[in-house]
Amino acid sequence: MNARNDTLLYLDGVSVSFDGFKAIDNLSLVVRHNELQAIIGPNGAGKTTMMDIITGKTRPNEGEVYFDGSVDLTRLDEAAIAELGIGRKFQKPTVFESHTVRDNLELALKKPRGVFSAWFYHADDEDETRLDEILETVRLTHRQHNLAANLSHGQKQWLEIGMLLAQDPKLLLVDEPVAGMTDAETVETAKLLKAISQTRSVMVVEHDMSFIRDLAARVTVLAEGSVLAQGSLDHVSADPRVVESYLGR
Amino acid sequence: MHPFRLIPKLLLALALLITAAPGAFAQDVEALVNTLPEGSYSDREKVIFDLAATGDDRVASILKVLGEGDLYVREEDGRVVAGKRAGRDYALSDPLTGEALGAAPSSDLDKIRVNNRLRRAIRSAIGQLTLMSPSPSVRLTAARSLLRNADPDALELLDEALAAETDTGVKTVMELARATTILKTDAGLDEKTAAIDTVTARGNREALAVLTASLSTAPSELTPAIERGIAGIERKLAMWDGLQNVWYGLSLGSVLLLAAIGLAITFGVMGVINMAHGEIVMLGAYTTFAVQQVIRISFPGLFDYSLAIALPLAFLVTALVGIAIERGFIRWLYGRPLETLLATWGLSLILQQTVRTIFGPNNREVGNPGWMSGAFDLGGLSITWNRLWIVVFALVVFAILLAVLNRTPLGLQMRAVTQNRRMASSMGIRTPWVDALTFGLGSGIAGIAGVALSQIDNVSPNLGQSYIIDSFMVVVFGGVGNLWGTLVGALTLGVANKFLEPFAGAVLGKIFILVFIILFIQRRPRGLFALKGRAVDA
Amino acid sequence: MITRTLFRAFDGKANWVVALLAVIAVLVPLSNLALPVGHPLRVPDHFVPLFGKYLTYAMLALALDLVWGYCGILSLGHGAFFALGGYAMGMYLMRQIGDRGVYANPVLPDFMVFLNYDALPWYWHGFDMFWFAAIVAIVAPAVLAFVFGWFAFRSRVTGVYLSIITQAMTYALLLAFFRNDMGFGGNNGLTDFKDILGFPIQASTTRAALFAASAIALALCFIVCSAVVNSKLGKVLVATRDAESRTRFLGYRVDNYKLFAFTASAIMAGIAGALYVPQVGIINPGEFAPANSIEIVIWTAVGGRGTLVGPIIGAILVNAGKSWFTGVFPEFWLFALGGLFVAVTIFLPKGIVGAFTGGWSALKARRISARAEQGSDIAPEPSPAE
Repeated sequence: MNARNDTLLYLDGVSVSFDGFKAIDNLSLVVRHNELQAIIGPNGAGKTTMMDIITGKTRPNEGEVYFDGSVDLTRLDEAAIAELGIGRKFQKPTVFESHTVRDNLELALKKPRGVFSAWFYHADDEDETRLDEILETVRLTHRQHNLAANLSHGQKQWLEIGMLLAQDPKLLLVDEPVAGMTDAETVETAKLLKAISQTRSVMVVEHDMSFIRDLAARVTVLAEGSVLAQGSLDHVSADPRVVESYLGR
Repeated sequence: MHPFRLIPKLLLALALLITAAPGAFAQDVEALVNTLPEGSYSDREKVIFDLAATGDDRVASILKVLGEGDLYVREEDGRVVAGKRAGRDYALSDPLTGEALGAAPSSDLDKIRVNNRLRRAIRSAIGQLTLMSPSPSVRLTAARSLLRNADPDALELLDEALAAETDTGVKTVMELARATTILKTDAGLDEKTAAIDTVTARGNREALAVLTASLSTAPSELTPAIERGIAGIERKLAMWDGLQNVWYGLSLGSVLLLAAIGLAITFGVMGVINMAHGEIVMLGAYTTFAVQQVIRISFPGLFDYSLAIALPLAFLVTALVGIAIERGFIRWLYGRPLETLLATWGLSLILQQTVRTIFGPNNREVGNPGWMSGAFDLGGLSITWNRLWIVVFALVVFAILLAVLNRTPLGLQMRAVTQNRRMASSMGIRTPWVDALTFGLGSGIAGIAGVALSQIDNVSPNLGQSYIIDSFMVVVFGGVGNLWGTLVGALTLGVANKFLEPFAGAVLGKIFILVFIILFIQRRPRGLFALKGRAVDA
Repeated sequence: MITRTLFRAFDGKANWVVALLAVIAVLVPLSNLALPVGHPLRVPDHFVPLFGKYLTYAMLALALDLVWGYCGILSLGHGAFFALGGYAMGMYLMRQIGDRGVYANPVLPDFMVFLNYDALPWYWHGFDMFWFAAIVAIVAPAVLAFVFGWFAFRSRVTGVYLSIITQAMTYALLLAFFRNDMGFGGNNGLTDFKDILGFPIQASTTRAALFAASAIALALCFIVCSAVVNSKLGKVLVATRDAESRTRFLGYRVDNYKLFAFTASAIMAGIAGALYVPQVGIINPGEFAPANSIEIVIWTAVGGRGTLVGPIIGAILVNAGKSWFTGVFPEFWLFALGGLFVAVTIFLPKGIVGAFTGGWSALKARRISARAEQGSDIAPEPSPAE
């Protein structure tokens, strides 16, 4: 019990298997408050499945998943977990393509999520200001009235990060945020995530090592569904087991 | 005796001489019948023996009429006739041919009288002719009629026949008839108990009726034995009824399987919603009709082979139609399942109307070849040949399809394309061709399903519509992309349907099944045999 | 808040549609009743119920569009909600016949006398009152949609699977209503109506009034749909259509949103059915046929799904075409309808309205982004309908 008191996210002994294949095998992991943590690992290491478990999309066969020390995430569905304050960015950028950029953010804005409160919702000045701020942060002000479908790949990534910010979550799960970005955009993204992690926790899954280095975060290496190594990037990349799992035998 | 009565006899004898040998036998019986009115009772008895000795098929019925006292001589021409009272008059008929001879008042008729001795003679003569006839089917009919009538007077004869009987089938019926008869007589308890056992051992609906009827007349000491017998038979019948339902269910299930199996390819493997699937089945049925039509007109001798000829043709026709549909329409709609659904629905309307325009809106007659008609009994089951062949056919088609998918290069390519189109394409598989062939295969299977369905259903332009919803239910219930699921799904739904029918009626049973599937899909959206894991969501 | 939401329903386009419907609601009955027979501007008698029927079809298509065009749920069973509304109204009209039926039974409708009912089944009570029938016409489809949707959406049945089970739903109802012992007139359904609210149902004034009522009901449905679509609720629905799991991860309970749209849509379909029955004079189980429900889809697709005007135009055009075809070339109607399905899905996926506004909104979007890049701060425009 005590072990998870001080954590924002606490996974202990989590396993899940699909048709006999163990995607996650006895995984234990902790994210603290206001921590930026990077997750790396070869393909099939279980990174996306881990996020599915945290966000309620997949139920683990066994193990504990707690949020904020006391909320059992395995009992909640996606919407409830999102309302608790866990935001997720998908590996493939997923924005609402037939809405404008501003509408995308408005939908993400932290407001009551009920059907009727949505029907009678009307953005007040405070909301508009908040949207303007986020647009500024993700540098999409000039495109706010365009359909999201017309954004470039990198812009969609940023819009999705913007949507995460609008949600005002305590924990952001960010899956491959810099895929398809230019080097300059990658650097900016690292800065943005670091800034975000001043006030909330961020978990980033990435393959781009220079990006991870820019983040200067604690690194967790996943392989075959469990934690292989943890520590600074230099520390884990010196670990022979990590090298082996990346290069294969 | 009236002297004029001799004239027809003389004429008859003359005719007999002229026509000579071939007709002689028939004339013989007629001559004998015409001598019946003459002489004393003992003369008549001799004629009866002579008649019986001819062994002619018609003799038994004449003797029966005579025994019932319904044989008369018409006074105006001395002809021997059978007479049945009809109002005030008698309706007359020829005792040999059954030809109606008008009516006459009783004053114009002389009854050919019989006494008890003659009656006994007649009975034993009939018994000899029927119960001891050389033909087992005649014996069986006679035994069955005894079983129905249970005439205690025939008991002696029955015993005699039983002793001589060699055919086991006939023998069991005779034994049952004997036991039934004994239950009606005032025979001793032991004999009756033995009779009850015999009847119980028979164990069918007839036996149940016999026992139930005897319950009211039998002495009270026998009641427990009879009740035990009834309960035993009812249990046995319930079991056979259950089995019969299973059989009907399997039969319906195999029809569903046939209708759905093509869909399992196009929808299950390719993910294409083909609402025109039912119409492709219909095209297969119409191909059968067309083939039979040509055979009827030009090669009547080939009729028994009509299905064998129709099968490959139907496969070819519908596979080509399928490929045309895929190349012409569906390939523009990959990745848009709901639009595919609508477009193929439109195609189904067009196909229906085309067939209606060519063949007319009415049901078309598709005949069953000889080897598909009739039925046989298996234990307590009654099995029709066409249903049996369809079950066998469905399973064979299923096995072939499974082999094609798992053991041929085409099957391998199909599976490759459905699992990873881009990868397959970069490995040199011509994916558009594979798509077209897969769709053609699914449609061809639907076509041969149509050949089978033409044997048990009305062939009309609406044939397909009655199967489309059921087929989708089967595929969805069984689990998409899984042929075994389709098999299990089809058979389960077929059997469930037939088991519900006795309780709920056909329509309500079907509604229950639909509601069940709707609820089932809610619980397991991917069907019975679902693919699991990340691939599903991707 | 609510007034603002309602106010948002009246954007430029909606104003025009509502105004047009209001004008039609007044002018068509007026021209039929006030102008002398033979006047060139007079709407002939038989056109009034025919046009009225088209308007109820338009409502039905609009209802389907709310779930299909905006929420991505392709219902192949909307005919069931329409028919349920129709049956509720039909039951009221049956009770109004009273002792004027063939068997002159003051309580039992003719078919019940014929089928040897000795008393009114319990579920027929109350239908002698119009208000009761009107409520049932709304509640029955709503309950069916709610229960069905509750199970379906909660267990995340989507896409083609959902379409197939909605089809199974209406098919099951079709079989059920064909049964004589359901007590709804079996095969023949309910017909031979005499009057509605005390007015003879065949009278031209009654028909004119029913026409006006259909036009007004359509206008009201349009306003409600517009209020939904132009609110954040509408945006969530579209978001659900385009990326359901993303919407879920934003914290929206997608099932509830779908359930809302599905039920609201079923209610509209039920009202349409209730208005349809007195104008055509019959309701029978054929309305539950899966083919009917798919036909609704094609009206919506032809007009343009995901727009509110499209389904109305589509329903009226296709049905006018059907009336013309079945009069002139009856045997070619199915060819035409089938061809329409194929042509629309392959060549005109956005329908007539989509094809028109497609070019228009592309132009507008370019203009907006041009202006935005110049830094001019313009008010957010409603997202162009997809």
